[in-house]
Amino acid sequence: MSAQIFGRYHGKGEPLFWLSVRTALLTLLTLGIYRFWARTRIRRYIWSATSANDDSFEYTGTGLEKFLGFLVAIVILAIYLGIVQMGLFFAGLNLFVDPDSASGAAIARQVAAIYITLFAVIPLLLFAQYRARRYKMARTRWRGIRFGMESAAWGYVWRGILHYGLAIITLGILVPRATFCLEKYMTDRMWYGDARFEQDGKWTGLYPGMKHIAIGVVLVLVGSVATVVLGVAGSVGFAILTGALAVAGYVWIVVGAVYYRIYAFNYLTAHKILDDKVGFYSQVKTSTVVFTYVVGILIIGAVSSIAFTAMFLVAGAGAVLSGMGFESSETGGIAGFVMVGIITTLFYIAILLAMGALSLVVITQPIIAHLVDGIEVHGAQHLDDIQQRSADQGADAEGFAEALDIGGAI
Amino acid sequence: MPETGRYFDGETGQRLTVDLTLTDQGVLRLSHPDLRGGSEPGHLDWPYDMIRAPGEQARDDQLVLTLVADSATDSALVQNVRLTLVGEALLADIRSLCPDLTKRDVARGTGFKVVTRLGMAVAAFVLMIFVILPAMANTFARLIPIDREVAYGKSIVRNMERLFGGAKAGDLVCSTPQGDAALARMVARLTENTPTQYDLNIAVMDHKMVNAFAAPGGQIVLVRGLIQKAGSADEVAAVLAHEIAHVESRDPTRGALRAAGTAGLLSMVVGDFTGGGAALAMTQWVLDASYTREAEAQADAFAREMLGRAGVSTAGMATFFKTLDEMDSVVPDLPVYLSSHPSPADRSVLAASFAEMQSDTKPVVSDADWQAIRNICR
Repeated sequence: MSAQIFGRYHGKGEPLFWLSVRTALLTLLTLGIYRFWARTRIRRYIWSATSANDDSFEYTGTGLEKFLGFLVAIVILAIYLGIVQMGLFFAGLNLFVDPDSASGAAIARQVAAIYITLFAVIPLLLFAQYRARRYKMARTRWRGIRFGMESAAWGYVWRGILHYGLAIITLGILVPRATFCLEKYMTDRMWYGDARFEQDGKWTGLYPGMKHIAIGVVLVLVGSVATVVLGVAGSVGFAILTGALAVAGYVWIVVGAVYYRIYAFNYLTAHKILDDKVGFYSQVKTSTVVFTYVVGILIIGAVSSIAFTAMFLVAGAGAVLSGMGFESSETGGIAGFVMVGIITTLFYIAILLAMGALSLVVITQPIIAHLVDGIEVHGAQHLDDIQQRSADQGADAEGFAEALDIGGAI
Repeated sequence: MPETGRYFDGETGQRLTVDLTLTDQGVLRLSHPDLRGGSEPGHLDWPYDMIRAPGEQARDDQLVLTLVADSATDSALVQNVRLTLVGEALLADIRSLCPDLTKRDVARGTGFKVVTRLGMAVAAFVLMIFVILPAMANTFARLIPIDREVAYGKSIVRNMERLFGGAKAGDLVCSTPQGDAALARMVARLTENTPTQYDLNIAVMDHKMVNAFAAPGGQIVLVRGLIQKAGSADEVAAVLAHEIAHVESRDPTRGALRAAGTAGLLSMVVGDFTGGGAALAMTQWVLDASYTREAEAQADAFAREMLGRAGVSTAGMATFFKTLDEMDSVVPDLPVYLSSHPSPADRSVLAASFAEMQSDTKPVVSDADWQAIRNICR
């Protein structure tokens, strides 16, 4: 094999759209049970559309396996969450103070006590996040060889709590450290066949990616302070101008956060090494991602507003007609209205399903395509020597991630 | 020129370009000098009926093939070997020759596994929701110090006021000196022979809704719409007695604790799919209804006893539930298991038969007091 190979994405919009609509409909009809199979089928499509050196990736997970893993996960979660949440709520109640006579600090403590119940799930979220990556790796193959990941989710949990805690305490300044260290923890436990991945690089290398967030923060601070000062001074015209500056700064932060994620992805990918010999390069562009996203939102917005307008026109006409046609008999009129109601509901559900499928096709898939097409692999001749690894039973098969609803787009 | 395919042996990452022969002996023959493990060196024979192709493939210009396995190495029942074919004619031939190409083989014992896991999950949920969490809520509701419960109840009443549209605390609370005094006399009459462990704090809120609430710690809210709808002070007293019953049995506190425990459980099962929100709300509703119907019936019984001991006729209670029943009749009745309260008609009948056994009753407060209560929001 040549020393340098490239990623390529072959997926098309139409088949994925109909696959998504079909599976979403089945999910609806089975009251949500089919969602495990739905997600599996969509993953199979996306994995099989991804190729390197013209050899396709393969997703070997099954819906049944995910369903069974989910059943185990919810039993554990039901017991843990039920007991822990009620216990924490009780502890929170014991901190309650009379709203008529309480000081500000006491009220703040009480609010904190109520929100503490939310923290009960954080260790589980981190656990699920690691397990989900492990499952996806274990069920991914290229050239028939499995990827895999070591069973080490608890180590990820306490590191995650520590790193994110530090990032919050330092008002976000240590976010790059959290991003890097947690990705390194996972990458260093990832395998392709008998070859181990390694995350190289330094956490400080992610700081250039923070620049747009920093600019946005400065704009918001300057804008807000200036607005208050000018507002007090009475020059309303300038205050509006600086207010707009603060709003622009906010938008800058949002886009800057996307820029950071992409910068981090490119940096971390470029510093991954497989088996000390194979290197990677990634060139995802923020402009392409943001553009795809904005265009996608516009398309979905336009299509859905047309569809909803049509629905209201049809429903309105139907209501008027059924009202007129059955004027003589009251029960007939009601039956007509019920019919219109049912048809409108079905139409509404159909629109929602189509919107979900459309966002997969106009946003998610193009972004994946852009990402895959930008991947290069160096030293690929060593991939020939890699040996198969033994199968991973998959533990909960992402059951925790499904139950806690952190699956993401696909 | 023979057809070729890209072969991966499932043991190494190496790609072999193998020659393919579609034989008449029911096998696809793969040929390459490096192929091992077949009946003769350099050849592998794949029986047509053992060949499988994974589903949902994005590329229609190629076909990925593998072989069915006896037992699963990971999730699917296929071997590690892969063969990728290209060329329209070849794909068509393979599709017509391999009878079970798209078959999804399932390992033995899968059905049993599904049934046992499903049974375990359902059992665990039923146990949690109907036994463990209610028992924990009962214990906790008894353990909580009364002053904390009162503080919690007050903040709930505040939130309720905000929901009704009150901009700041106390905005919607109705109060006149005569009205407050009259309400106090009503409460004194009710609790004279039935002492309560909580200091009752009763507020009237200015909103047209016909309703009353009990929050934790003795906080009771009567809504103006209810007072207007009531035909006599006895009717309001019946509602008040019912809410006092909830306070005394700590139903609101227990409900809040139980809600905190079950909050995440249901959304976990239903998941986040289109229409999932509706399914979730529906389940939550049925569940809440089954919890509270019993508590409501008990509160009614307590209220009848309380009115009886105070020498107030429960005829007012019967009339009030009748009024409610007539209001409900505008929309069709919900089935019993969907409603959080027992049917108003049944409650009315119970109150009426209790009233028949009473003697020496007199109105809960004077006519002047009743007028003062009615006008408390003016």
